Order: sequence, then C-alpha cells, then structure tokens
Amino acid sequence: MLRILRGRLPAMPIASWLLLLVLALCSGWAGGAHAADAPIELRSGIVTTAVDGVLRSEPVELSYHWDRQHRGRSGFASFDLPFKLAVAPNTPWGIFIPRTGNVFEVELNGALLQVYGDLSKGNGADYAKAPIYVPVPGELLRAGENHLLIRIHADSARRAGLSRVFIGPADPVRNGLFEPAYAWRFTASVLLTAFSLVVGAIALALWLTQVDATTAGQPRRDGIYLWAALAECCWAIRVADGVITEPPLPWVPWGVLMAACYAGWAASAMMFCYHLADWGRTARTRWLRWPLLAVVLGTVVSTTLALQREEPIWLTGWLAIEIVVIAVFVGAFVGSTARRPSAERLLVAAAALLTLAFGVRDWLVIRLSDAYGETTWVRYSSVFFGIALLLIVLRRFRAASVAARGAVRTLAERVAQRERELASTYAELERAARDQARTHERERILRDMHDGVGSHISSAIRQLQSGQTSSEELLRTLRDSMDQLKLSIDSIHLPPGDVGALLAAFRYRLEPRLATAEIALDWAVDEVTPVAHLDAHGMRQLQFLLFEAISNVLQHARARVLRLEACMEGTAVALRVIDDGRGFDASRPPRSLAERAGAIGARLALESRPGRTVVQLVFD
Amino acid sequence: MTTEDPHDATPRRWGVLVVEDDSRARAFFETSVQRSPQLFWLGSAGTVSEALGWLARTATIPDVLLVDLGMPDGTGLDVIRDAVARFPGCEPLVVSVFGDEENVLASIEAGAVGYIHKDAAPEDIAQTIVEMKAGASPISPMIARRVLAKYRSLQSASVPGTAEPEAAPDAGERALLSAREHEVLTLIARGFSYAEIARLKGLSVHTVQTHIKNLYGKLAVHSKSEAVFEATRLGLLSRSG
Repeated sequence: MLRILRGRLPAMPIASWLLLLVLALCSGWAGGAHAADAPIELRSGIVTTAVDGVLRSEPVELSYHWDRQHRGRSGFASFDLPFKLAVAPNTPWGIFIPRTGNVFEVELNGALLQVYGDLSKGNGADYAKAPIYVPVPGELLRAGENHLLIRIHADSARRAGLSRVFIGPADPVRNGLFEPAYAWRFTASVLLTAFSLVVGAIALALWLTQVDATTAGQPRRDGIYLWAALAECCWAIRVADGVITEPPLPWVPWGVLMAACYAGWAASAMMFCYHLADWGRTARTRWLRWPLLAVVLGTVVSTTLALQREEPIWLTGWLAIEIVVIAVFVGAFVGSTARRPSAERLLVAAAALLTLAFGVRDWLVIRLSDAYGETTWVRYSSVFFGIALLLIVLRRFRAASVAARGAVRTLAERVAQRERELASTYAELERAARDQARTHERERILRDMHDGVGSHISSAIRQLQSGQTSSEELLRTLRDSMDQLKLSIDSIHLPPGDVGALLAAFRYRLEPRLATAEIALDWAVDEVTPVAHLDAHGMRQLQFLLFEAISNVLQHARARVLRLEACMEGTAVALRVIDDGRGFDASRPPRSLAERAGAIGARLALESRPGRTVVQLVFD
Repeated sequence: MTTEDPHDATPRRWGVLVVEDDSRARAFFETSVQRSPQLFWLGSAGTVSEALGWLARTATIPDVLLVDLGMPDGTGLDVIRDAVARFPGCEPLVVSVFGDEENVLASIEAGAVGYIHKDAAPEDIAQTIVEMKAGASPISPMIARRVLAKYRSLQSASVPGTAEPEAAPDAGERALLSAREHEVLTLIARGFSYAEIARLKGLSVHTVQTHIKNLYGKLAVHSKSEAVFEATRLGLLSRSG
C-alpha cells in the first residue's frame, strides 16, 4: 500500500518533477537513509462509494476518475489511504492533493483536517480546479500505520475524483510539489486570463479605431481585429473558470457557457484565419463561415444535452466532430498559406496547427482516457494566437509607417514638382506679359511717330518739294516736329492720369515757342486729381490735343496772352486753353480736336469771339 | 526761363571747353561762344579719351565744360566726373537733344550743374552758360518730379526703426532737401516758372535759382555717398576706411 516515490513520474508537469528531484537530492533521499523525510505518494487504498443509495467498498488504485467509474451519476466516495511511518515525525507535515473534488474533506487518523465546500450539496462549488495543500500537525502522525481519509461529493461530468496524494514533511511537499503545481494550474490561469484580456482589448481598440476610409461606400474595419478580440475574450472567460471555485451560475448554464466560450474561441480563431486568408473576398470561400457558426451552436446544444441528461457522450461526440471541422479548416488555411505564404499567415498557421494538435491531445486525455488530474494544453497554445496577433499588428504598423514615410516623400516630391511647374508657368506668363507690354509699347511709339514727328517731317518734305514755302514756315514745321519728339519722350515717364504733370511738362517744352511769338503765358493751373481712365495712350492724345490747340493760337490767332487753366469742377477735371486772339468760327471745330477728345473720353467745348477763344476739355 | 542778370558789375570772361563728337555741332558751339563777350573758347574734343587727355594736360582750368553724353568711345559722364574731380571750380553743362530726365539726372549726379538743349539758338546757348555762371540752373518739371519721388522713397526708407542710424549713407541724404527747396521743387514740378515761384513765395528769382543750384550740388554729393554706402554694404570698402 505504501510506496515511496521512486522515479515513476505521475502525470505532472516536468518542471515540478525536476524541482522535486533536486529537493530530494538535497535532502539525501536518493540514498534511502532518511526515507521518512521524503514525500510519500499514496497510490492505493479502499474506496467506499455511495451512488443512488448503493454502498460499495473496493480496493482502489489512484487516480480515481469518477466519471469513468460512474458514468452520468453523482454520488459520494470515501478514500481510505493507509501509509506507514517508521518513526513519528516531530516536524510539521503536509498533504498535497493535485486534484480532487468536487467538494471534499480531509481527515487524518480520525482528525478532520480540512473541509472544502458543503458535502451535502451537489453541482455547486468545484474545488477540483486547483491543487490542494493541507498542513498536518506533526503530532497527528504516528509511527506505524496511519490513515488518510478523503471524502468527496462528486458531480457528474465535472471531472470529480481523486488523484494520487502526497504526504511528507511540509517543506518539500509544499515548496517542491504543491507550489509548482499551483503555479501551473492556478497562477497560469490568472496570467493567461490577463494576457487574453489585454490582447483582446488591444484587438478591440484596433478594430474600433483602424477604419479604412479609402474604399468607396461605408468605412471598412479590419475583421481580423474583431475576431481576435472575440477569441481572446472567450478565452479569457474560459481560462478564468480555472480559478473560479464557486461559479456565479448553476452548474448546467455555467457548464454550457464555458463550453460555448471554448467553442467561441475556436470559431473566432478560425474566423481570424478566415480573414487573414482573405476568404471573405470571394463567394467561393465565403461559405466557410457557416460551419464555424455550427461549431458554436452545436457545442451549446450538445453541452446542454450532456449536462442535463448527465450523458457526457453527447459532448465527447460533439467535440470529436468539432475537432474534425476545425482540423479541416486549419488544413484549408495551411494549404492557402502554402500557396500564398506571408510571414503573418505562416505564423498563424503554425499556431493553428499546434493548437489543433493540443486540442486533439486534450480531447483524448480529458474526454477519453482514465487519466485524472490532467490539465488542458490548449490553454497554453492559445497564447500563440495572441502573440501572432501582436506580431501582425507590429508588422502592419511598421509597414504603415514605411508607407507613410514614402507617401510624405512622394508628396514632397509632387509639391516640389508642382512648384517647379508653377514657377515655369509663372515665368512663361511673365515673359508673355513682357512681350505683350513690349508689343504695346512698340505700337504706341509707332503710332506716336506716325501722328507726331512723322507727320511733321512729311509736312516739311512737302513744303520743301512745293518750293513755295518760306524758310520761316519750314523752320516752324521742323520745330513742331522737334517739340513733338520731346513731348513724346516726356510722355514715356508721365504717370497715367496725372494731368498736372502733363501740363507742367507741356509748358516747359512749349514756352520758348510762345516767348518767341511774343505771347505771354498766364499759368493758372491748380492741383487736380488724376483722371482715372487716362492711360499712357490717352495722355499722349491729350498732348496732341493741347499741342494742336496751342499751335492754332501760335499760327492763326494773333494773340498776346495765352492762358492755361486747370481746375476741379466737382469731381471733374477741367482744362481750358484761352487766348485773346481774333477768334474763329466755333460752330465748325477742327475735326481732329473733336476726334481726339472723343478718344480720351473728354467733353470738348469751344467758345470763340474776337478777343476771347476758349477750348475747354472736361474729364468727368 | 526767366533769370536775373548777373550782379557782378565787371563780369569776367569764362573759358569754355566743348566735348562733342559731331563736328558741325562743335562748330556751332564755337560760334556761339566766340560771339559772346563774356566767354572765350578753350578748345574742343571729339572723343572721351581726347577730352580726358586734354584735361590731364591743360594748364588753363576750364570754367565751363559743354559735354555731349553719347560719344563714340564711351559716355560723356566720365569726362564730367574727371573734370569736377580735377577742377572743383569747373562747371559742366550737358548738351542734351531732348533734356530728358534719365540723361539729365545721371549727368547731375556725375557733377553737372545744368544742361542746354542742342537745338537752342546760338545766342541762347551763350546766355545759358553766362546765367549758369551767375548762379542759375535750369530744371524741368519732369526732373523736379523725379527728384521729389526719389526724396520720398529715401524718406520712407529711413523711417526710424526700419534701419540702423549708422546704416544711412550720409547725413547729407537726410538733409537732401530743405523745406524751402522742397517747396520750390514742388512748384517747379507743377509747372511754375522761377519768377512765378519767387512771387508766390516772396523770394527773389536769384534765391530760387540758388536753391536749385544747391540742389544740383546735393544730388551730386548724394550720388557719391550713395555709391560709397553701396560699396560699404557690399564689402568693397571697409567701414573705418
């Protein structure tokens, strides 16, 4: 009945055993000299069961898997595990029970050591989820035979039973056996839950925030983030169950919920693959979603049946179907990845294959084998999906930032290109404007030469050719020509519309002529505002007009005084050339005067009688 | 243009040098000068280099220099600069066909004190020279307008705070125009004659002429200081030097 641990490794994580080995070596147990100090593994005893009112006692070899012994039934079991000690220890001991439940109590040599849950109630608390350590006061143990009694209330389909039990000095049992097992089962569950929640939250945040607004129609979110979030959320709940000894729901709904979370995680993980493989884009592969929905629904139905009818076969059978469906899906994904490999897909394919293998193993061990005390491996492989997701996000972020940098560079290049184009267009426009200005200026000068100096020189030539002209007349024509040339040069610098400047220059040029003709000039020019519509050509026309008016006075009027007036009449600018000469017939004004006045938008008024002739121009 | 007679009771005679590439024009000027009892003919040059050579060799300081700007081997401006640099008492007059603002302003800035029109009558030419020596300086309304515009742009450029005080080329620039000169110039730009201005402002015509002649001097000085300022700014001259 009593057997000292000798290298036969029960179903415990390897790390626990390595630690145990080290501890054993340290305590000198390997030599057998201090056998009493080493933990003792209790592997057999007598079990007394009570199922449906039937009591039965029989020898038992642990582990004891209730569901395998009493398929679909709940009941009680009492395990009497005897062991012998050479000497009564004088130090505290401890009992390590890797797994037992669902509720139980521990008794040693007739003394009740610990009670976990209410043995009178079924389908309530479940203490089988975490390893148990029960401290043993040293004085309870005695030399010779001792009895450890463990009584359980076992619920159907909740993995009730009793694993092998270890008893020994507190230190190696607690630190060497219990603590690592606890860490693997309980602490790992907490950490995995936390990890899943963090990854799930990140995925959800990414799904909510990473909106692709570039495509037409509704903004698109990336499905892989949503399914990753759902998968991690389901998995967080499922793994959290490992630390919840007293579920908030009755057992059947709780059990269905946990199974649904498991199936939900599997289906969401597959949907993650579905989006990664772009199966949603073509109608040929879009149907692949529906088997996954069936996996979840089927799990809910089969778990409900299994738990309500207390017939685990429903769930075991359905899980087999589920594994096949998932295997087909994973196979398709792996095939798709092989055809179109990418780092992201390869990573997820590896995680999916590993998880599938673990899932098959878990199904075999948990649902079919008699092994008791085993924990699922899938819980660990699920981490790969989380890591894969994080790597995908990191790679995408990197790709996005590279693309963004490229986009910024391209944009900068385009802006520079546009600037160059603009500059060249602007230069071209400027050149065109310059050309146009030059053309206008040439036209103006040509017109000027034609109307001014050209016409005077041709008059001089005609005068010479006629042979009848006096040299005085010829000189006057040539002087007119010279004066026109000077006025033309002045007009180049005259500000457009500045009639005051025009009159000043005009006086400067023509006053010597008036002096020669002994005509006194009366200068009555006020400051006047610029005439808005009088451009360079208009200014030149005004010069011609005034020149003609004064030439007429010089040649025909026999005047003694010439008065030049400029003043404002309201907002209008008025110019007057007044002489005291003999006058002329004002009803027949010289045609060119009228034409030029019309061309520059001035109102021409003539008034003439002997002694006073007024040529008036008004710019409104 | 009306000017007063010189005050000098015993007028001295002024020696005239003519720089002109057209031989007929040279002859015309010579005739004009010879006819005037107040002027005497020093000689003439047909090219810039000839004129510069004459100035370098001469023992007689020319009182008046008549310079045509368009010379076959350069510009008459060089002759003006050389003459005023050698002989501060020499007063150059530019011979201009049109009396246009660009050429006249450039000449004034080179040191000319006035200009005469090429198509003027021979007696007018001598008259202008004598009046110039008596203190008169002709200025057209267009040139007055240009000087005023330049003055305005200089004023707006030297608004306090916009430039460092020592960055201004010269104190002469700030005092480029006195208030009276500004008034006189404005009236000239509006076409008033010297006599009309004298009447309007209660001045003598001679005072008005003096204002203008002073202004000519200032423009020449200003143009030099502006060149120095530009050279300093460009680092061609050291500030201390």
